[in-house]
Amino acid sequence: MNHSLLRIAIACTTIAAPALSQDLVAIKAKTIHTITGPSIEDGVILLQNGRIQTIGKAADVTIPWSAKVIDASDKVVMPTYVLAHSNGGMRGANESMQNVPWLSVADAIDPASSYFEEMLRNGVGTIHVLPGNNTLMAGSGMVVRPFGRTVEDMTVADNTGMKLSLLTGNGSRLQKIREMRRAIAAVREYLADYEREKAEFEKEQAAGAIPADKKWEKEIDRKQKAAVELIEKKMKGWLYVPSFAELDEALRMSKDLDLNMVLGANLDEAMPLLAKLKQPVVLDSTIEYFETDPETRKEEQHCSARMLADAGVPFALSLGAGGPTSYPWWQIGTCMRNGLSKQQALEALTMVPAKMLGLDDQVGSLAVGKLGNIQILSGDPTSATSWVDTVVLEGEVVYERSKDPRLKYLFEAAEKAAEPQAPKASDNSKKGEGQ
Amino acid sequence: MQILNQRRTTGALLLTALCTAPIAAQDVLVQASKIVVAFGAGETKSTTLADSALLIRDGKIAFVGADIPPEARRAARVVDYGTATISPGFVLAATTLGRDVDLGEGAIAFTPDLRTAEAFDPWLEQLEQLAPAGVTAFGLTPSARNVAGGIGAVGKPGKDRGRLLAAEVFVGFSVSRTARNQERQPTSLMGAHQMLRESFTEARDGIKIGPDLAVLRQVMSGQRPAFFYADTFAELNAVLEIGASFNFAPIILGGSESDRVLQKLATRGAGVVLNTLNPSMRLAELELPAKLTKAGIAFCFAGRPDQLRLSAALAVRHGLDRSTANAALTRTPATILGQQANIGALRSGCGADFVVFEGDLLDLGARHVATWIDGKLAHGTLAHSKLAHRTGPNSKPQTNISGGR
Amino acid sequence: MTPLLRTAALLRTATLTLALGALAAAQDGVTAYTNATILPGGKPAMSNATMVVSGGKVIALGGADLKLPDGANVVDCKGKTITPGLIDASFQSGNNTQDLNEQSDEVTPNLRVLDSIDPEDPRFARARNAGVTTVHVMPGTRNVIGGLGCVLKTHGTDPKAMVIKEDASMRIVMGSEPSSGNRAIRGGRVNSMYYRRPTTRMGVIWEVRRAFYDAKEAMTKTQGAPGDAPASPGTQVLMEVLQGKVTAVTTARSEQDLRTALRIADEFGYQTVIDEAQDAYMVADELAGKKAVVMLGSPSAEGVGGSAGRDGAAPRAGTVAVLAAKGITFVITTGTNPAALPLINEAMFAVRNGLGPQQALDAVTIEPAKLLGLSDRIGSLAPGKDADFVIWSQHPLDPAAVAESVLINGQSVSQPR
Repeated sequence: MNHSLLRIAIACTTIAAPALSQDLVAIKAKTIHTITGPSIEDGVILLQNGRIQTIGKAADVTIPWSAKVIDASDKVVMPTYVLAHSNGGMRGANESMQNVPWLSVADAIDPASSYFEEMLRNGVGTIHVLPGNNTLMAGSGMVVRPFGRTVEDMTVADNTGMKLSLLTGNGSRLQKIREMRRAIAAVREYLADYEREKAEFEKEQAAGAIPADKKWEKEIDRKQKAAVELIEKKMKGWLYVPSFAELDEALRMSKDLDLNMVLGANLDEAMPLLAKLKQPVVLDSTIEYFETDPETRKEEQHCSARMLADAGVPFALSLGAGGPTSYPWWQIGTCMRNGLSKQQALEALTMVPAKMLGLDDQVGSLAVGKLGNIQILSGDPTSATSWVDTVVLEGEVVYERSKDPRLKYLFEAAEKAAEPQAPKASDNSKKGEGQ
Repeated sequence: MQILNQRRTTGALLLTALCTAPIAAQDVLVQASKIVVAFGAGETKSTTLADSALLIRDGKIAFVGADIPPEARRAARVVDYGTATISPGFVLAATTLGRDVDLGEGAIAFTPDLRTAEAFDPWLEQLEQLAPAGVTAFGLTPSARNVAGGIGAVGKPGKDRGRLLAAEVFVGFSVSRTARNQERQPTSLMGAHQMLRESFTEARDGIKIGPDLAVLRQVMSGQRPAFFYADTFAELNAVLEIGASFNFAPIILGGSESDRVLQKLATRGAGVVLNTLNPSMRLAELELPAKLTKAGIAFCFAGRPDQLRLSAALAVRHGLDRSTANAALTRTPATILGQQANIGALRSGCGADFVVFEGDLLDLGARHVATWIDGKLAHGTLAHSKLAHRTGPNSKPQTNISGGR
Repeated sequence: MTPLLRTAALLRTATLTLALGALAAAQDGVTAYTNATILPGGKPAMSNATMVVSGGKVIALGGADLKLPDGANVVDCKGKTITPGLIDASFQSGNNTQDLNEQSDEVTPNLRVLDSIDPEDPRFARARNAGVTTVHVMPGTRNVIGGLGCVLKTHGTDPKAMVIKEDASMRIVMGSEPSSGNRAIRGGRVNSMYYRRPTTRMGVIWEVRRAFYDAKEAMTKTQGAPGDAPASPGTQVLMEVLQGKVTAVTTARSEQDLRTALRIADEFGYQTVIDEAQDAYMVADELAGKKAVVMLGSPSAEGVGGSAGRDGAAPRAGTVAVLAAKGITFVITTGTNPAALPLINEAMFAVRNGLGPQQALDAVTIEPAKLLGLSDRIGSLAPGKDADFVIWSQHPLDPAAVAESVLINGQSVSQPR
């Protein structure tokens, strides 16, 4: 894995250079949601060189004179959200060919995409970008932060796993499953051939037919490399399972491969199978849906997050590309409407995805030593009226709501309308503060 | 065309041959171990006769059982179905005989004064499928494509050609999906409902006159039953509202959601002609016959003739009593069509239309031995094969029949 | 006997003597909902409040000191919030929009959407379970003048019994929707009824103008000579609109269409409600000047990330705040957005976009009741009003809020979630 910052951090510690003043940031907060520990009222977080150096009650922490202070003493501070599966921010997320394991999202990510801007606005700090759901064996993904001019700038980790999908396109469900089995079998065959050839080479070398100093030079085909790594469990697979009907096959596949599953919404028919999921899963952005009973023609509402919680399977939430599901607070609210706790819902956007990405020592909670990926909200993260005011990534302020041009555009008419009638506007112009 | 002409000629010849035979010689005595004169719970007299016979004269039932005069009995040709059961032929309450093209005027949706009788082709191939299914009479409805389709007739299939029993019997309407197409008015249920509401108002208040509105007045005065294709709740509700506003009792064709308007149907005195049932239907639809009966609503079946028995059997499996199920194949549709004096029962004066089954006709394993229409064998055999060895004093070699007892 | 008790007793007697079947069956005496936070609609919140319901009506509302009638069933609503049943002033019913549009004519003022209502349409159940107790249904948006809307309660088996106001409105549609799919006749065979007017926005307005012109003409005729043949049913409806007996609702999204809607209403002298007014912020002063009531369809679609501008409109999240600041009366609806959220969540998005919570709740309760001319019955909780209310798990504008109990005429109609 490629942690640019990790490297910087290591460099800093080895050189043991004194911290530069601009590297020291202090955030004063009314409430700090640490996620893994108890919440702190009237707290302070000190960031040094992009990492959390101290976190605690304001009374217990001395803010150095050299620190740049972000005053959020009437606001809520918490880690930025982590998305374990996203198809956003790419130009062309779906390759039309079905079997393209050699592709990488690095070549499709558009740093200028408004998606990343929108993610910052939503308080998301870590995004695992993977190819779309329409391709069988679609290529490998990478973890990015939604800030930077180039893909390299944005990269947190690359080659984070192979995207696989059982989503049925034009053909039948069974055909898709068969295609997947064939694709995997073909890679195994290739690998077996390669190894047989290598064994023969070594055998002949041992027998003296090939000079002893000659080296085995044939490398694994570039097109097959990623798929071979998947087969050898050197690389994780991220398998999209569109509905309950493919879950059985997904469970079978996970016996041979190191898989993380991304589950579609329609799971109610697979309730007994859900308990068999040992690993945490990612849920599609749609977590609440209606189903009509064909006999009675009555609708029933289901919630996939609730089903997984009931089955005792940890899950990560996703955000939709547009509409209400693109807002973390709405997704959290949906979980809570369906009987999940606030903590459970918050973890599904922080710690659970961080663990799935193997980044739980870096992101997903506020603790000493972790990256300074912090969002400052105007209010509680579960409230519809809270807005993300500031986003800090690795100690650096990367988003400020007061300077957000899109919000300015959307609300300028309201601000103008509110101006001449100052007394009347007091109720209306408050963008969201409390109910 | 050539073939068609040929068929017509043969048929015509045959018909001539039959017509020229002496009338007295046409008396036929049909015997069986069980004869059901009429099905249905409403019958006061016992309607099942054991070891009895029917005397057929001029294609009609002349006498039944003990009423048969001995001299007529002696003079008649005898057909003996032995251990089989004879019961009234099935009545298919509504059908277009697969000829929607001929029975739905495409240009406009409001054509109540068209007559289906005028589009009836007695040589239609589809008629040949009826007798093998036990159907001996049918209501010829206008297609469901028009909001007011026209005046329906009652017809009969036959061995070779069909015929009309009555030319102007009921009026066919439709508010179903097929009546609302994107080609002409109306395209929506609102539009169909409004079209009916306005034209019935015009007919009632005499705002306009014309042959089309005259037909609607016949409906309102109860002179002609009104058949309405309607399936979903909203469609049924529209029909019942029209019925209530203009004070007539509609007959519903289809009615797959009629369980949702049972009370209103009962209050209005409406009848329902259900689509023939099959096992893949929703439970709610399979239970409809029992539910309608419980609510006191008359129902029968239309749709696929070969599924009539299956429908009755499925209705029984889903809670309907056998007597009502049998009536739904015979007496109920005859009554709905206002033809109870002519079809649906085996009383003196009714057409000699009956089916012969070895066993109970609701038992789908029971063998269908024969169908008779207008006193003639239209399907199956004249004799019961099991009785080939039996002989008796009345045996007549030329009829290929073993005699009575 | 306290006045309250007397009222209760009177009401009970009235219920018995009048034998109002449904109400009597619904109500076994008196029920008191206590310890609740009550947001009565149009008035400030009451904490630790009590509401007494009997005979399908609210009979008393008060603080913790309110004396409960003897023998009242007491429902403790500690921690819960009670609001009036929500009213969706533009609710799309029917799975099949084909049945909401009679396309054989562009102007069908006398068609009634009530004729196509199915009470078991799952949309009613969805709305009901999410706290909506009354809806205003209009014909679809494919016709220039679509027909008559009606107001229904969301629970029942018979549309006639659910209706609380027939012929509540007549819908007019601006913009490109009524002309889309139509084709001009340019020689050749006319083999479809879609070869017709209008094919342009201009054509749409021409249809509206012609229809109202005919209605005006018919009005002068019937006034002048009583022997004249009565006007066609459609023209009669338009006459009632001109006389102010039937509310005109004009669906107009973009600025251009909004201005046209106001202009044509002026031209013929009728007052119109503006529906789906996405660009309302651009014509706020005109709307305020004309005292036009605005229906905002699905504010969630106008969120920050979305680009839900339809028919040339450019919606902005700040619209609700603009309307509030300009003193324009408006209601929040689910409207024609197929992806609209439950009504309460649409109100919640309006709050996110800058509307005060009290105003947002009013915009889905008392304001639509006023708009529909039914505020004496529904939209707020006060003695004498219909006992249509919702018991929420918490403040209803919280994303985690659940409608735990929905009651219409005092009777529970929601399915447990």
